[in-house]
Amino acid sequence: MPNTLRVIYSAFRLAMLHWMADPQWVIPNVIAPFVFTTVALTLFKGSGGPFGLYAVLGGGMMGMWGNTIYSSGFAIEFEKWQGTLEEVIAAPSKLIHVITGRSISNALFGLTNMVAVLIVGTFVFNISLGISEPILFTISLLLTLLSVSALGLIFASAFVLSRSAQTLTNGLETPLYIISGSMFPIALLPFWSHPIAYILGPTWGIDAIRLTTSQEYASQTFWVGMGTNSALILDLTVMMLITAAYVAIANVLFKMVETRARTKGTLVEA
Amino acid sequence: MNNLRVFVSSALFSFRAQFNWLNPPMWVTMKFVLSFSQMAFFVFVGIFSGGGGGGISYVVSYIAIGNALQSLSWNTVFSVIQITTQDKWDGTLPLVLATPANRLPLFVGRAMVHVLDGLVSVAISFIFAAFVFGVDFVHADPLALAVTVLLTSFTMAGFGLLIGGFSFHFRNPMVFANIFTFILLIFCGVNFSVAALPTLAQPISYAFPLTYGVNAARQAINGTSLLNISPILAQELIVGLVSIALGYFLFESFERSARKTGKMEAQ
Repeated sequence: MPNTLRVIYSAFRLAMLHWMADPQWVIPNVIAPFVFTTVALTLFKGSGGPFGLYAVLGGGMMGMWGNTIYSSGFAIEFEKWQGTLEEVIAAPSKLIHVITGRSISNALFGLTNMVAVLIVGTFVFNISLGISEPILFTISLLLTLLSVSALGLIFASAFVLSRSAQTLTNGLETPLYIISGSMFPIALLPFWSHPIAYILGPTWGIDAIRLTTSQEYASQTFWVGMGTNSALILDLTVMMLITAAYVAIANVLFKMVETRARTKGTLVEA
Repeated sequence: MNNLRVFVSSALFSFRAQFNWLNPPMWVTMKFVLSFSQMAFFVFVGIFSGGGGGGISYVVSYIAIGNALQSLSWNTVFSVIQITTQDKWDGTLPLVLATPANRLPLFVGRAMVHVLDGLVSVAISFIFAAFVFGVDFVHADPLALAVTVLLTSFTMAGFGLLIGGFSFHFRNPMVFANIFTFILLIFCGVNFSVAALPTLAQPISYAFPLTYGVNAARQAINGTSLLNISPILAQELIVGLVSIALGYFLFESFERSARKTGKMEAQ
C-alpha cells in the first residue's frame, strides 16, 4: 500500500477505534440532525410529493455535515487534549493525510443518523424508501461522503488558523444545513444565497442521491429537462471538481498550519 | 442572610464560570447566529411542507414564535447542565461538596443568572421573528408576553437544574445537555402542535415547562390577556417548581453516594 494511503487508513482506523471506545460522543454530534429530521418528518406528514425522501436523505446528509463539522473542527484540538499533537506534527507523515483519515471516519459515522432516521421514518411515520438505482445510489453516497470529508479538511485547518474552532463549529452547523438544501430545495432560499450553495460539493451530492432514489425527483433536480442519467453524471462531475478544489485549498492551508507550528511553536498553546 | 450570600455567589460564579468554554465571540454566535439559523431552518421546512391547513403565513408565525421561545433553552438548559459538566471536568466538584454552605441556595443559585440571559435570547429572537419573518406583534399583550417569557425562563432553568442534578450521576453530562436541549424541539409544540405527536408521546410534552410557555406566548402575541393565560402559567410554574425539587433531590442523593463511595468525577 502506498505510504499516503497507509497513513490515511491508519488515521481512519484509529478514529474509528476512538469512536467505538467512547460511542457516547456520537450523540452530541448527531443529535441536532436527528431531531431536525424528526421535526421535518412531522411537518411533512400528510403532505403529498417526495417529502419522505427529502427528510430521510436530508437527515443522512445533515448527519454527515454535523459529525464532520464538529469532529473536523476539533480534529487538531483533540490531538492537543490527548497530548499527541507534537508527535503528529513531528512525524514524517503529512498532517493533512492524518486528518483526511479522521475526516472520512467522521463523515462515515455521521451516516448513523441516516440509519436512525430511516428507522424512525419506517416505524413511526410509515415511510417506505425505495431506492430505484441501488448501485448508483451507493456510488453517489460514497462520493458525497468524500466531498464532505474534503470540506472537513478545510474546516480543520481553517479552524486552527483562525483559532476559533468552537465558535465556527457552532455557528456553521445550521447555516450549512440550510444553504446546502439538505431538507428543502434551495429554490426556496433568497437568490443571493444560491452561489454559496453551488460552491458546496454536497449540494450537488444530495441532488445526485435523490435522483438515484426516486424517479419522482427528476422534475426537481438542478438539471431539469435532461435525462436522469445525464443529470446524475453532471451532478457527480461538478461535485468531484469542487471536491478536488477543496483538497487543493486544504493542502495550502495545512502547509500554513505546519509552517506556523514549526516556526512559531504556538500551535499547542492556543 | 448567609443563605442569600450563598445564593448570589453561586449565581454569579456559575455564570462567570461558563465563559471558560463560552468565550465572548461564541456567546454572540449562540445569541445571534444559532437562534436565527435554527428559526430559519424550520421556517423553510414549514414553507416547503405547504403549511398544512393553516396556510404559509400561519405556519411561519407558529414556527418563528416557537423557536424564539425555545432559544432560551440554550441558556437555561444547556448552560445550566454544563455547570455540572464543568464541575466534573475542572475538578471543582470536591470543593463544592466540601463547603459547609446550605445546599439549596447553592444548587438553585447556579441557574439564576442564566434566567436573565435567557430573556436576552428571546428578545433577540423576537426581533428576528418580527423583522425577518414578518410575525405580527401588533395585537400582542406586552404584560402577558413579558410575564410568560420571564416565567418560562425561570421554569426552564428549573428543568435545567433537574437534568443537571440527574447528570451528576454520570461521567459525561454534556451528552444530556445536548439531548435535553434538542428534544424540546420535538415535544414542546415549538414547530408543530403537541397533538401531532403519537398519542403515547403526548403526555411527555407536559413534563416540560416550555410546552406551557410556548402555548402561552402564542396566545399573548395574539392579544390574550395575562388573566386569561394565567391557568397555563400556573401549570407551568408547578412543573418548574417540581423540576427544581427533583433536581435538588438528585443532587443530594449524588452527594450522599459520592461521600459513601468516594466517586465523584468518575461516576
